[in-house]
Amino acid sequence: MRSRSRTYSLTFSIYSLILFNSLALHASEYLISYRYVVKDSALYNESLSISQAMKKCSGSPQIALELQTDGNKNLKKIISQNSEKFTEYIHKLGMHVEYKDTTNKAMNKSTTIMTLQTTCFTVDFNDNFAKIAPLK
Amino acid sequence: MKKVISLSLFVALMTAMFVGCSTKETPKKESDKSIAVAKEEVLGKNTSLRLVALGQGVAPTTTISPAQAYALAKKAAVADAYKILAEKVKGVRIEGEDIIGNMMIKKSSIHTSVNAMIKGANIVETNFKDGLCEVEVELTLSHSQFTH
Repeated sequence: MRSRSRTYSLTFSIYSLILFNSLALHASEYLISYRYVVKDSALYNESLSISQAMKKCSGSPQIALELQTDGNKNLKKIISQNSEKFTEYIHKLGMHVEYKDTTNKAMNKSTTIMTLQTTCFTVDFNDNFAKIAPLK
Repeated sequence: MKKVISLSLFVALMTAMFVGCSTKETPKKESDKSIAVAKEEVLGKNTSLRLVALGQGVAPTTTISPAQAYALAKKAAVADAYKILAEKVKGVRIEGEDIIGNMMIKKSSIHTSVNAMIKGANIVETNFKDGLCEVEVELTLSHSQFTH
């Protein structure tokens, strides 16, 4: 009787360990997309979408970026605190440029859409900084 | 005697003028050559090509502080610089449309578009003056990037 209860507790602990590990692995992976629109040489619209990955991303981490966190573990807040550094980093990773221009009766209208397509990033939170790297 | 002096002066002036014209013409030819060389610049094996673009952007009229104006103008300028790089790397699609009725142009419009992916460009310099932000961006292309 005792041995049966021991095996049950052992299997339960193994399953819980696997579940915990799988959750922990996915917790540090985020899907990030960024897009901004420039109309007639002035910024018109900007959007940054951040979401935790629901399943494990494939690929190995590429060029990493370190951002100051001050103990904060909310990625959206960390990125908004270091927005200039982060946007410069994203531009280096690669941005899709879509430009349209119309000239009608010597009047010119232009629209530029810059997009970072949805990319999976791995994020390591430490005490005072977070390390972000895209997975490819 | 006076006639001889005036004639010699006239001849000297004319020669000076012609010499001046000839010296002015030589640099033009050199610049023409340099333009021709710049047009023929291609990415060869074991070489790299550096592309530079200067983008300009202005801040929206609704900004609440100079810092915000700078940040927004810089973003617009970076987008403009990336667009110029994309034009250089991939080219521009141009479509023109003229609508003619009763032998008169009713509507004339030109549409241009660019579609490209730019990776690894660096911001070299940023200037912000009188509400206008100028950003210089460089992109280095190497032959090995296109071997795949």
